Amino acid sequence: MMGRESKETTLITGGTGFLGSHLVARFLAEGRRVVALARNREGMSAAQRMVRLLDWLKVPQNLRRRLEILEADLEVPRGGLDPDTIMDLQNKVDECVHCASDTSFAVGKREQVQRVNVQGLENLLDLLAGSRCRRLHLISTAYVAGKQVGKCSEDLPPEDGIGDVFKDALDTTRFHNVYEQSKHRAEHVAMQRCAVIGMGLTIYRPSIVYGDSRTGRTLAFNALYHPVRAVHYFRKLYTEDILRHGGRKAGALGIHLDADGTLHLPIRVLGGDGCGVNLIPVDFFLRAFQAIRDTADPNGVYHIVNPRNTFISEIVTFTNRFFQLTGLRSLPGGEDLPRNGLELLFDRHVQAYGAYMRDARVFDRTRAEAVLNPVGVVCPAFTYKVFAACMRFAVDVDWGRRLWSDTTTPVTASKQKTSSC
Amino acid sequence: MISEDIRHQAAQCRHYAMCKIDYLGTGLCASGAEHQYVSHFPQGRMDLCDALARNVVPITEGLVEIAETCNLCGICDRQCHFITGMRPVEVMKALKKHVREWLEQGNVPVAPPADADLERLREIVGGQWATNDPAILMTYANDPFPLAGPRMPRFVVLPGNRDEIAAVVRYANDHGIAYAVRGNGGSVFGFVFTDGLVLDMHRMKGITIDAENWTALVEPGVTSFELQQAAVKQGFRVNTAEPAATVCGNIVCTGLFSTWSNAYGVNADTFVDMEFLSRDGEVFRLSDPTAPNVFCYEHQPTSSPGICTRAFVRLHPMTDDEAGMLVPFTAFDEAVSFVQDLSRRRIGLALGVLGGHYLSTFMAPTASLALQLQSTLSETLGMRYAVFLVGDRFAREAVRSMRPAVIDAELFRMLLLGLPNLAEGAWQDLVSGMDGDEPAYELLLRPEIRPVLEAILRPAPETLASAVDEDLRDFYTQLYTRPEMTDMVWLNMFRILSSRMSRHKHMFAFLVYVPMDRPALIRSICDRLRQIADAQGLENDFGFLTPLDLGKRGILEYDYYIDHQNPDDAERIRRAAADFEPYLEEISVTIKGVKWLKNIFSQGCARKEAFLYT
Ligand SMILES: NC(=O)c1ccc[n+]([C@@H]2O[C@H](COP(=O)([O-])OP(=O)(O)OC[C@H]3O[C@@H](n4cnc5c(N)ncnc54)[C@H](OP(=O)(O)O)[C@@H]3O)[C@@H](O)[C@H]2O)c1
Ligand code: SF4
Repeated sequence: MMGRESKETTLITGGTGFLGSHLVARFLAEGRRVVALARNREGMSAAQRMVRLLDWLKVPQNLRRRLEILEADLEVPRGGLDPDTIMDLQNKVDECVHCASDTSFAVGKREQVQRVNVQGLENLLDLLAGSRCRRLHLISTAYVAGKQVGKCSEDLPPEDGIGDVFKDALDTTRFHNVYEQSKHRAEHVAMQRCAVIGMGLTIYRPSIVYGDSRTGRTLAFNALYHPVRAVHYFRKLYTEDILRHGGRKAGALGIHLDADGTLHLPIRVLGGDGCGVNLIPVDFFLRAFQAIRDTADPNGVYHIVNPRNTFISEIVTFTNRFFQLTGLRSLPGGEDLPRNGLELLFDRHVQAYGAYMRDARVFDRTRAEAVLNPVGVVCPAFTYKVFAACMRFAVDVDWGRRLWSDTTTPVTASKQKTSSC
Repeated sequence: MISEDIRHQAAQCRHYAMCKIDYLGTGLCASGAEHQYVSHFPQGRMDLCDALARNVVPITEGLVEIAETCNLCGICDRQCHFITGMRPVEVMKALKKHVREWLEQGNVPVAPPADADLERLREIVGGQWATNDPAILMTYANDPFPLAGPRMPRFVVLPGNRDEIAAVVRYANDHGIAYAVRGNGGSVFGFVFTDGLVLDMHRMKGITIDAENWTALVEPGVTSFELQQAAVKQGFRVNTAEPAATVCGNIVCTGLFSTWSNAYGVNADTFVDMEFLSRDGEVFRLSDPTAPNVFCYEHQPTSSPGICTRAFVRLHPMTDDEAGMLVPFTAFDEAVSFVQDLSRRRIGLALGVLGGHYLSTFMAPTASLALQLQSTLSETLGMRYAVFLVGDRFAREAVRSMRPAVIDAELFRMLLLGLPNLAEGAWQDLVSGMDGDEPAYELLLRPEIRPVLEAILRPAPETLASAVDEDLRDFYTQLYTRPEMTDMVWLNMFRILSSRMSRHKHMFAFLVYVPMDRPALIRSICDRLRQIADAQGLENDFGFLTPLDLGKRGILEYDYYIDHQNPDDAERIRRAAADFEPYLEEISVTIKGVKWLKNIFSQGCARKEAFLYT
């Protein structure tokens, strides 16, 4: 995998995140020099956090000497770096991959999300202004499309009506959440500023990223994982109730265990067969990123998405099969039905993803496929085999609690929050 | 030889005197109950063990008796663990062993020096109730407040009645002996020290209930816990302070306040009359036309009216449909406005806003579980504050119609008995996964979720007991089988959990009267106190806020936490005092409705109107 050593230096933000860490590993494997901007958190230094991730990503020691880690917070001007470091950075960075982002959907975190996603980008561009950096790779999201229905093009959507996101509330007519709105705004900021400083801008718009399609390995257990994890939790809870405590509580909710170990867990998943959810595995994202980056044209917007959405009913079937369950079923409508406690809890796990589970957006892939098809980069189908690999890994590491084999700290690379599309 | 580890444990005693009341139904330390000096209760023994290890007290005849009368019954282990998490029996064993070995080496205990004054004092109170044994005196000489150094008295006297107090005071006055009065023998904040004579009121425990007049006559050794017990037996309730604090002492010092003050008032509202012995030995009642006016307020340090010898405390009625309730909030201002609204609408009896730290510390039987619980409540469930209420069924119905997401008595019981599972990781992760715009508690408190919560929490005395040391589990299981231990009304009336606030460190509480209709001002006071503490690296947190007088005023508690054995913390609090003293003094003078409790010190009998609305 390792290419020739290169003198080129890539600055990567968000290197401690799910996608950013994989990109750091990939760039190092290519023999490039990497400068990662990262934060101290949860009692660990930026460097300790990066090292832990590189261990997890199995990056050989000899490649790591080409990695420089700078402690920086993009919420503060110029990341809070000192003038000498900035000058050094400006003299050596050739390109920048911007992954740092706050991926929370909650209205209560609006200011924080906007500060990181919009002001953070501005701060980064201030840092790069006047540097030798010639290209910005902006990791955005397919969901900048917001509440558009039907075809969403690989262009910047119009900005009108968004105003100053720092002052304005969420525009609920155009976006489902603050995350979408801020990522949309960030694309425009990047476009305007890169044009002014003469920097190439490539915008990558992945849909929802899950683990590796072959191994199931992942650093993030949000999005797809959240509701499945809730089901797994209920399975353990009521199996224990039945086996160890007489099953009275399970019985009250109509839950029972068959002799072969199958648990009947009656949960009706609402909104079943809309248009489904667009899921891509991290390995596809990485290959697509690399192929697009390798194109000669530094400017462009690319959807990195799955040509086929996965229906909720498919995920429900996969979940029943993988966890040996019956009773979990998807209903086409059912919003008016009374819900029991389990269902209410389950609903809350998918609530923030409602718009992504019944996605009426169709992402144009023309520009991306023009690059990806010729090099044979194709998104793997989300089959039961892929689902099972992902869930097996998730269960093995207890949904991230045992992710770091050498540490007991129950942290995941991305925090527990609704995110990542 | 007493090991450093044991000494360190012994030095952790917070002097809350909880081992002097039978608050868990375990009975009391037999030796303490018989001899009545602080030195003979576990609290004093802890001090003595620490002092012996540091070689600052000789082995006296009194100390030998103290060591020998400990029968290692284990009561103090159970009592003390419940509130502090400590296991004093190890200390008691070490103390006994040390003294025994010392005696076995042929050493002779030091006899207290002959003293003519002591002989006279003994004539007044009886031979066994006055002493100058250095070991016994030592247990009246120190305090966990780090800025108060030890000060050894010459005598400790335990009078048995008012006439004896009067005679002791006259003798002290005549012979130029300074004296300090201690209701329950203890001191916490370094105020009640003397080189002369300590009057410990512990023997004076008389309580007479006058049902027709709705009053209880209490002697100065009666603790809040004991009075509440006596009142409840006859179907009444009193406004109550810390359980081990004496009722008279509390009224005189700061005035009585609690979450019940919403309905029952503070200071002069809490009693009908009081009897004092003046500094020159004269007895007077406050209702005497010629008595000094103690109902007024002076904004300057003032001395107490004398020694309180009896108080006629107000009794209040109870109804049989009272229950507790917690109403969660994420934002402070919202919680404050809500509690004020309840108060002005006369909804509820006891009312208060509690911080997450307060609530979790009260509920959890160990410090580590409290820490986990605090993060569960605040971070995972979004319940940073809770409005606490005790009310009849009409009040509770009203609250439900105002805020549907509540923790009622049944759910509280469930949460308390399932506490270890509530704080458990997988469940927490599950709830964290529900990231959304409403705090998680709104969903989790819906009635449909209750059966699921029950399966998750598995509430039972055994579940709660699983959080404590293995050898205490049976005891905790038995304890939590008793319904009152999970009853918010009982817990709030007897306040047996309040000492848990000092479990992980000694607590330094700021109490400030505030205008309840100004949540932003209240928040700014908290913010300022937080900044001051943070600047010195002192742990700190919001405690509680209780509305008074139909929501016009309130009493705010903000807490600093100090390791009282750490000289650095003493220095930190000293430096912080240079900031908080002038700040609190200034706002007490310049902002209407704001009064720092320090201003009211020794004016606890004052009418609240005299300092809250002037
Ligand atoms: N994962 C997906 O499914 C998905 C889908 C579509 C688009 N995306 C986009 O892909 C990018 C990466 O997503 P991800 O899933 O890797 O997210 P992630 O795991 O949450 O990582 C986010 C990264 O941003 C960093 N960050 C946040 N605030 C920062 C600040 N103030 N200063 C410096 N760094 C900061 C985080 O640092 P800490 O570790 O210190 O918090 C972390 O390294 C984002 O732009 C996201 O919008 C992701
Ligand atoms: S163990 Fe000793 S000190 Fe503790 S309660 Fe029993 S007799 Fe008292």
